Amino acid sequence: MFGRTVFLIVMVVTGLAAVAWAVYGSRLAPADFSFTNETEIATVDPALATGQPEMRIIQSLFEGLGRQSPKDTHFAPGAAEKWEISEDGRVYTFHLRHDARWSNGEPVTARDFSYSIRRLLDPLTYSRYAYEGWYLVNGKKYTLASELAAGDPVEIEMNLAAGVPNTVRGELLLGKLVRREASAAKSNATAAKGDDAEPKQDIFVVEIDGKERRFKVAEATDRVPKDVERCRQVLLDFREVGLKVIDDYTLELRLTNPTPYFLDLLAYYPLAPVNQACVEKYGSPDWLRPEHIVTNGPFRMVARRLRDRVRLVRSDTYWDRENVKLNVVDALSVDDRTTAFNLYMTRMVDWDTVPPAEVLRELLKEPRNDLNPAPQLTTYYFLLNTTRPPLDDKRVRQALSMAIDREEVTRVATGAGEIPAYSLVPPSMPGYHKQECKPFDPAAARKLLAEAGFPEGQGFPRIEILYNTDQAHQAIAELIRKQWQNNLGITATLRNEEWGSYQDSIQQLKFTVARRAWVGDYMDPNTYADMFVTGGENNNTGFANPEYDKLISDAATEVDKTKRMELLEKSERMLMDEQPIIPVYFYVSRNMVRPWVRGFYNTLQDVHPIRDIWIDRSVKQDDPRPNEYMEPVK
Amino acid sequence: MTWFFVRRLLGLVVTLWVVFTVSFLLMLAVPGGPYSAERNLPPELEANFKHRYRTDLPWYEQYTFDLSRDLTGDLGMSSRLQDFSVNQVIKEGLPISASLGIFALFFAIVLGLSAGIVSALYRGSIADFSLMSLATVGIAIPSFVVAGLAIMLFVFVIPIFPAAGWGTLRQLVLPSLCLGLAYAAEIARITRTGMLDALSQDYVRTARAKGLSEFMVAIRHALPTALLPVVSYLGPAVAGILTGSVVIEKIFAIPGLGWHFVQAALQRDLTLAMGLVLLYTVLLYTMNFIVDLSYGILDPRVELK
Repeated sequence: MFGRTVFLIVMVVTGLAAVAWAVYGSRLAPADFSFTNETEIATVDPALATGQPEMRIIQSLFEGLGRQSPKDTHFAPGAAEKWEISEDGRVYTFHLRHDARWSNGEPVTARDFSYSIRRLLDPLTYSRYAYEGWYLVNGKKYTLASELAAGDPVEIEMNLAAGVPNTVRGELLLGKLVRREASAAKSNATAAKGDDAEPKQDIFVVEIDGKERRFKVAEATDRVPKDVERCRQVLLDFREVGLKVIDDYTLELRLTNPTPYFLDLLAYYPLAPVNQACVEKYGSPDWLRPEHIVTNGPFRMVARRLRDRVRLVRSDTYWDRENVKLNVVDALSVDDRTTAFNLYMTRMVDWDTVPPAEVLRELLKEPRNDLNPAPQLTTYYFLLNTTRPPLDDKRVRQALSMAIDREEVTRVATGAGEIPAYSLVPPSMPGYHKQECKPFDPAAARKLLAEAGFPEGQGFPRIEILYNTDQAHQAIAELIRKQWQNNLGITATLRNEEWGSYQDSIQQLKFTVARRAWVGDYMDPNTYADMFVTGGENNNTGFANPEYDKLISDAATEVDKTKRMELLEKSERMLMDEQPIIPVYFYVSRNMVRPWVRGFYNTLQDVHPIRDIWIDRSVKQDDPRPNEYMEPVK
Repeated sequence: MTWFFVRRLLGLVVTLWVVFTVSFLLMLAVPGGPYSAERNLPPELEANFKHRYRTDLPWYEQYTFDLSRDLTGDLGMSSRLQDFSVNQVIKEGLPISASLGIFALFFAIVLGLSAGIVSALYRGSIADFSLMSLATVGIAIPSFVVAGLAIMLFVFVIPIFPAAGWGTLRQLVLPSLCLGLAYAAEIARITRTGMLDALSQDYVRTARAKGLSEFMVAIRHALPTALLPVVSYLGPAVAGILTGSVVIEKIFAIPGLGWHFVQAALQRDLTLAMGLVLLYTVLLYTMNFIVDLSYGILDPRVELK
């Protein structure tokens, strides 16, 4: 009996202690401004992040040469105060402001940018956005060692001693690449795969101080041939890359091509600076912990709780701190869209980034002062596998496109006022006339299909529509299947795969028709057009046309802005005639923002820097005066 | 007794190894990897990523690497939550899931036991019928429906609880009620059966014959025996409830571990998925072990060998 009582008491005490811990152990004072930031962010490292939720945090923590202006997301001065661009549009000289400071009080200098851009390009940083640095002369060659050729100046990074943080660089040897050789001893990995077709050219013969030495990328424990030295990596000599620190406050960037949108890219977070001393002291990812991280942006990160929140506090070293109005900001990670919406409706947050589509449809029936969907730089389209018959026939692809009633899709299947798309490039790209594919025309579509040998859809094989598992995608695919059935007499089946498998299938062209959405990286049609060059990583249709490739490369080198746009227009014209893709609709933004939130604008890229947001306490919920967000979109 | 401990410990090691191996092979068979993303990489960079996650190595080398790392207690870096190691993810999430779970269990046990006892004592009455119908409904309705209804009722219609989040006692009430409800229902049914069984035993008749009140008979004599099946149900249930509920954590935005179980697998975060599977194995095993121990305490007839 005694044992039982003790057992019970122990259980009760443990339970109460746990509850007490849960309640009092994790309290934070309330924030001035809270918003739901979708899913848990993957990282706060500017070089490693890729998504929208990450961006909202990172652009508050770090500031590049420029920052994204809240009104139109174009370049606004950041760490750079003024800049000059050469006549040919290839050389940018930036003058850094002298009062830009890191959160530890040290000045932000040109050297910080040089370090950070090199780090972004370094393959060992594993950045997915390394290509943001490839606009620089030799930037791509620095990242991709496979592009090194005999005669190139190279830097050999030696292996690190044990216990050194992974972000420190090994000792550097500078030399000239003489040739590359295949190593005689094959590594276990390639031997096991049995891929002996082409031995890898993995030995670098480099001339250093007049002596030839042989290097192989290998760890201290790997076996290497006798006369070969182990190293961490062999890269192009970084001095070859188009980046020059002229003095502490002057930075020169040289580009391969005149890139009219380059300034906008500099305002984008991957090219933001990181603090070398901090990164090298703690190593990755430990330097990103709130207690270690050193930042230069308008906010500091004071707490980061997994799947709960990131807490930002206004930085008192930021150069423009007078114009940062919010003191404490919480970015809540809320996975469930309905939950996020509930938080918004119960006023626990002032900004809901993505309310659920089914709720929007209801809300939009009445005028509201906190919801104003506006066009966005994102296109929803179908990829057609042009290597698979019958989709290898252009007429079939056109017929499929012309048999889709996009108006019905946006009316029935989406519901937040999405815009039917007949082009890949979204509207309102400045200076660009979008090129459209043929409109909805079932009769003409049937005729084309008959010409291709399938009158009334007879003999047309069953085709499959692939999408990643999601109710919204399913609804769209169902509807299009029905439209094809009714308008062309052909049968389609649906196949859904969850994200990872779906990505794999798309990359390996293991599909017939597949959905995809593309968010523009910058405000220029090129962000869409250059996907479809032959062999492009994101082409994924098998579409290959030398003429198209030439248009894209010509546009890249064209200095004249009008001519450049004409070239890009021609490329889209070609894409819309050949139709390796079928555009379906353009996304609209769907933020819900309380009327007292000011400095929040509708922008094409759906970017809303927290730096510029402020709270107007005098405004009540039913205030008739619209805030910036509710102003009609041009 | 010592032999009992040693045998169980060996059993745990073998179980962990088997679970590790099976999970490893399953993960190997799934397409995609931690490097899959919307924007595809040039082949050289993709190879670089594969090298980073060691997916370019033959499977037996990956296996030995992962196994020997996990053996040291370091479960590796999460590949999707790039700023965290698996150990840190568990350290942050487990206490939250666990305290929510304990609260839910408390509620489940109190409600379940009372309902079960009342039902058994008044067998065949309207009280019995309605309680058991409720329990059946409680088991049948999935927790997301319960949670949805609870939110509508207690957040919007009668606004007494916050919609979601973590950090105050009020935020804890709704999720733990929703989480505990299904367990309460299950416990009520098991208790009722156990009580009915115990009440027909000879020693209960003896107790009645001694002239004890019906209440004392039920609580002092029948209940301890009736509890045994409840305890063996609670073992695995506790392991499940401590590691968090995917649905409840998602709906109430609670930063526990449950969500990671599903997301790690979906996003091919193989290290995190493996770490969580191992954690769950250890917890489940430990809970069953505690159940066996508590048998020795609750039931004098049981001797641990």
